[in-house]
Amino acid sequence: MIEAAIWWYIYSLTLAIVVMSLYGMAARPNLLKKLIMFSILGDTANLMAVMLGVHSGLIQPPVFPGISFTDHPLPGVADLESFARTAVDPIPQVLVVTAIVIGLAVLVFLSYVAMLLYAKYGTLDVREIGRRRSE
Amino acid sequence: MKGAARDAALAVLALVVILGLLVGLARTGTLAVPPPEGNRPLADKFLKTTYNWTSDLWSASPEVVTSILWDYRGLDTVYETGVFFLAIIGAIALVRGIKTPSLRWRGMSVVARTVSKITLVAIPVVAASIALHGHLTPGGGFQGGSVFAVASLLAIVALGTGFLTGRGWSKDRLLAFRTLGLLLIALVAVSALILALLKGEMGYIMQNQWKPWARVGLGYLFGGGNGILYSGSLFFLNLAEFLAVSAGLSLVFILMGLPWESLKGGASE
Repeated sequence: MIEAAIWWYIYSLTLAIVVMSLYGMAARPNLLKKLIMFSILGDTANLMAVMLGVHSGLIQPPVFPGISFTDHPLPGVADLESFARTAVDPIPQVLVVTAIVIGLAVLVFLSYVAMLLYAKYGTLDVREIGRRRSE
Repeated sequence: MKGAARDAALAVLALVVILGLLVGLARTGTLAVPPPEGNRPLADKFLKTTYNWTSDLWSASPEVVTSILWDYRGLDTVYETGVFFLAIIGAIALVRGIKTPSLRWRGMSVVARTVSKITLVAIPVVAASIALHGHLTPGGGFQGGSVFAVASLLAIVALGTGFLTGRGWSKDRLLAFRTLGLLLIALVAVSALILALLKGEMGYIMQNQWKPWARVGLGYLFGGGNGILYSGSLFFLNLAEFLAVSAGLSLVFILMGLPWESLKGGASE
């Protein structure tokens, strides 16, 4: 009961963040605020993807435990079975790893565009920029 | 009033799209409260084959995420590295007129500078540890490179851009390191294939371990029986990606920290 309530809370909070960031991207005229909302939206999407990999009960990271550079016994079938039962789904994490770095690179690129726009127009207000472009 | 009506229509549209997505996810069982009992069959398969030496498809690494990233869908990750490269090249192309000047901004206060200099030693160590243990513990080249870029960002903010540019972190040198990382990735990607061609066997691009139908592999133990576990290509790809990501992100952060006047000059060219 409490577990379900917590999960509902997390899901609805994530959804609220998505709605708020979409609102911010669409409605705020300042380009910098649009960028902030864009990064929040991306991070929330990544969080949702990672949450899809969680299953109930005891969980651990998708890394076979107890292996190091010099101590690396080869596991038996029973070890692998119990590992696969408790480890979370690795596939969403794989997708998120590259998405974070590429999201950062895209954010940097958009920041450069915003900086150049500011250098040219002296403002980050998209309405103002549009008005000056049409003049 | 036209603008208000359009805004309301957009809001309703967004709400419908979000609710539709939610219902779809809930109906297919992807979003379940509480979450499902066990893993999906695909995840189960990956978790059981990655470090299972009896399987033909094992990748010799206990880290399932790194194994999928650089072995099972390695080619895809190479393309994603290409996307990352293009985004950075695009950012640099936008400010191409800029020279990295040897400016003398003193940075923040003495307290902030001292604390930053202490942490500046620790962050690259952590980053290198994350990247070099990428095939053993959670982490890898992408994560280590991002952590390293935090150190550059801290140096730029707290100590000034001159701290890095004065130590030889020029645009050309960082681009060279970035390209070196990409070249290493390309080299490791085709190494198994070249080995196979030399031996007259079957081989694949981005192949990691020995397969019964493609009998070449990069090995996984350095020094025989009880040696050091390096998991074939995973270690080298993590290292190369660490180099590429840390140099690329440091470069864009340095260019972003340049003084306003030089950016204006670059924009007008």
